[in-house]
Amino acid sequence: MSGGSGAPDAGYLGGSAAPGGWLGTRDHKRIAVLFLGWSLGVFLLGIVYAVIMKLRAQSGIIDTHTYHQMLTQHGVLMVFLYVVPAIPSILGHFVLPLQLGAANMAMPGFSLWSFRFYALGTLCFLVSLFFGPTAAGWTFLTPFALTGEGAFMLMAAGLCLAALGWLVTGLNIIVTVHTRRDSGVGFFAMPLFSWGIYLAGYLLAAVGSLFAIIIVYLALSRAYAGGIFGPQSDPLLWQHYFWFVTTPAAYFALLPAVGVIGDMVAGIARKGFTGYRVTVGAMIALLGLSFTTWGLRMLGTGLSEDLGVVFAVLNLATAVPVALIAYCWLATLHRGAVLCGAPTTFVVAFLLQAGIGVAMGLCLGSLAAGRYLANTLFVTAQSHYLMMGGVMTALLAGLHWWWPKLTGRMYRQGLGRFAAGLYLVGLNLAFVPQILQGLAGVPRGVYTLPAELAGSELVSLTGVWIMITGLVLVASNLFGSLFDGPAAPANPWGAATLEWQAESPPPAGNFAAPPRAAADPYVG
Amino acid sequence: MGAEVPPSRPAGRPNPALLGAWTLAAAALAGWAFVAGFGGFLDQAVAPFGTYDIAVTARQWSWSFTYPNGWTADTLHVPLDRPVRLTLASEDVMHGLSVPALRLSEAIVPGRAGEAWFEADVADTFELRSDIYSGDGYSGMRTALIAESPAAFDAWLTRVSDIFSGRTDVEVGELLYNRKGCVACHSLDGTKRVGPSFLDAYGHEVETRDGGRVLADDAYIRESILEPNAVIVAGYEPVMTPYAGQITDREIAAVTAWLKTLSGHGGAEAAAVPDTTGADAGQKETE
Repeated sequence: MSGGSGAPDAGYLGGSAAPGGWLGTRDHKRIAVLFLGWSLGVFLLGIVYAVIMKLRAQSGIIDTHTYHQMLTQHGVLMVFLYVVPAIPSILGHFVLPLQLGAANMAMPGFSLWSFRFYALGTLCFLVSLFFGPTAAGWTFLTPFALTGEGAFMLMAAGLCLAALGWLVTGLNIIVTVHTRRDSGVGFFAMPLFSWGIYLAGYLLAAVGSLFAIIIVYLALSRAYAGGIFGPQSDPLLWQHYFWFVTTPAAYFALLPAVGVIGDMVAGIARKGFTGYRVTVGAMIALLGLSFTTWGLRMLGTGLSEDLGVVFAVLNLATAVPVALIAYCWLATLHRGAVLCGAPTTFVVAFLLQAGIGVAMGLCLGSLAAGRYLANTLFVTAQSHYLMMGGVMTALLAGLHWWWPKLTGRMYRQGLGRFAAGLYLVGLNLAFVPQILQGLAGVPRGVYTLPAELAGSELVSLTGVWIMITGLVLVASNLFGSLFDGPAAPANPWGAATLEWQAESPPPAGNFAAPPRAAADPYVG
Repeated sequence: MGAEVPPSRPAGRPNPALLGAWTLAAAALAGWAFVAGFGGFLDQAVAPFGTYDIAVTARQWSWSFTYPNGWTADTLHVPLDRPVRLTLASEDVMHGLSVPALRLSEAIVPGRAGEAWFEADVADTFELRSDIYSGDGYSGMRTALIAESPAAFDAWLTRVSDIFSGRTDVEVGELLYNRKGCVACHSLDGTKRVGPSFLDAYGHEVETRDGGRVLADDAYIRESILEPNAVIVAGYEPVMTPYAGQITDREIAAVTAWLKTLSGHGGAEAAAVPDTTGADAGQKETE
């Protein structure tokens, strides 16, 4: 796969391909590249925090106060500025118009501003670190968020800007799906990735506006030592608002992840998608349930028994749509002529990791266990399985799937498979010890771990290093292909969705000739 | 690579029976998870009758446990094989009471009365800690839960609750001044509060509300504790709660001995007036 076979046409990446250069671009593909680069920086910073926090157990490299500050920054970076918005921002902007046969997003100015809000928000957050990082936890627990040290207001401003970016992205996605299906792509002939992004669009718009509002209220409560979340109010009030708003945010990461895997499963199996409408229905059901599941997060904070039962049932109800989706994936792969490339390895990794995350969710929904585990490292491990094992793996899978389209270059498949394997092994070594620690009742967010956990912490740290090695190999493989990768054909996977009818990389207007949409998006 | 891959072929429809069975299996698994956890959840929520009650107070970053006899300790001792009900209160921010070995985890929310119960069936020492972030000292907010046989538990409580053990009468009197709440109304420096100051009270004649005079001797002190409204010092209201039934004769004697040390008429010990207002040094049993 190496050696290069001549430089591909630079397409949208070429200097004159789009007006406005890069920072003023309105081309959805360039916006996606900007999001990719910026997100990568945020992710790297989040990983640095994670490693330093992990090292505390071995070396005492940081003190308690610094640890709580870093825990806060790690959470804000990874959750709000990276993993939650990553797939809609990067793959959503790049792939959605191509899959719909459109030349661009419906509102290119919104695309640009979604990136600007995100970048400005991140900058505000980073600058706030120099004026004093807050240590209130990434869920901004009151009263620590109200009275604790740190440049909280600047960080809050940054998060409001990021949330505005979500709102703008969501509106842009919804309008694009409704008005830019130029090639006669029917609503129920949209690829599953487009469905995932479309459904996420509603959550991005709703959560973006609500999150900005509650952050403003919290900041006002801090500024005036009063108000709805002020020192006189019940600390649980803020937590209810926070989880009500941010639990659906996890779904605007997970729904596009489901879409990515749906497209890839059909693509790598060389088949149409078995149970397309079932999967779309299940995704809509998940969207509906996304605003009803926050309460289980409160099980460890004195939630009443009646509400505990209601939220446990609602959480467990998500098992049905998840099972339907999983069935359709497996049925599609069944007897498929499965491609043995790096994307396949990432899909397998996703299925394993997300499966563990879902199984752990069942444990949390089983009330007696959930109540015991609610404040332990078990919950930390479960959210990492869903976010790192699920969303992050889906993002990596999607990047490997659409990289030839994004860059016009092919990367090394063998190295990609090896990197995916390392990532999978590292992730499990890192977080299985956390599951066991959680089962043993170790609370989350404690600086001092019991001495008997030193061994399992060492295993976990080793896992983190292996995972990072896998990610470094992923990056070197993908970015290395820009220098020595062979030119990618328009459709290296032989997939049927419309984006593969465009050149790799696509020109500024995406399609040289109008793409031909079929009734079945996966059978061309 | 595109030339190597075969073209996509249409998908079959999902097998309705298989899809139905798969979905039912998932629903059944979720249903089982709910049912399996529901009973234990309700058990945890409702304490049985006949519990041994201990009041838990959490604060940044320590615990205190108050037993039915009023004794307060910073470790939690419990009798084996008897349900123990904890009433939970926080003095500042949210805390969480967690004893993993007993599968106990309960939030303690400021301004709310919380409750948790458990029953230990193994004599051992378990770790009790907070599992909700409460600031920098959160990681160190832990203590011991000691489950022991009822006989050993009773012996422990009797031993640590005997305030005369290892203390002089004067020290016990000072301790009772703080623990019984006298400190709230009677100063030690002559300042007038709700009740008269204890400084130079003992051994002096005082004027009463009905115009008489009375000597503050042992009998007067005793009457003022047990039936405080029988004789009221001029300038004060009859608002003190009678302590009859709440204090022993030996404790009254200890308080009296201590009051003597605060008075010029009390004897040689009266030379120095200890500043103990608000102090509670001897109150806690530390293990």
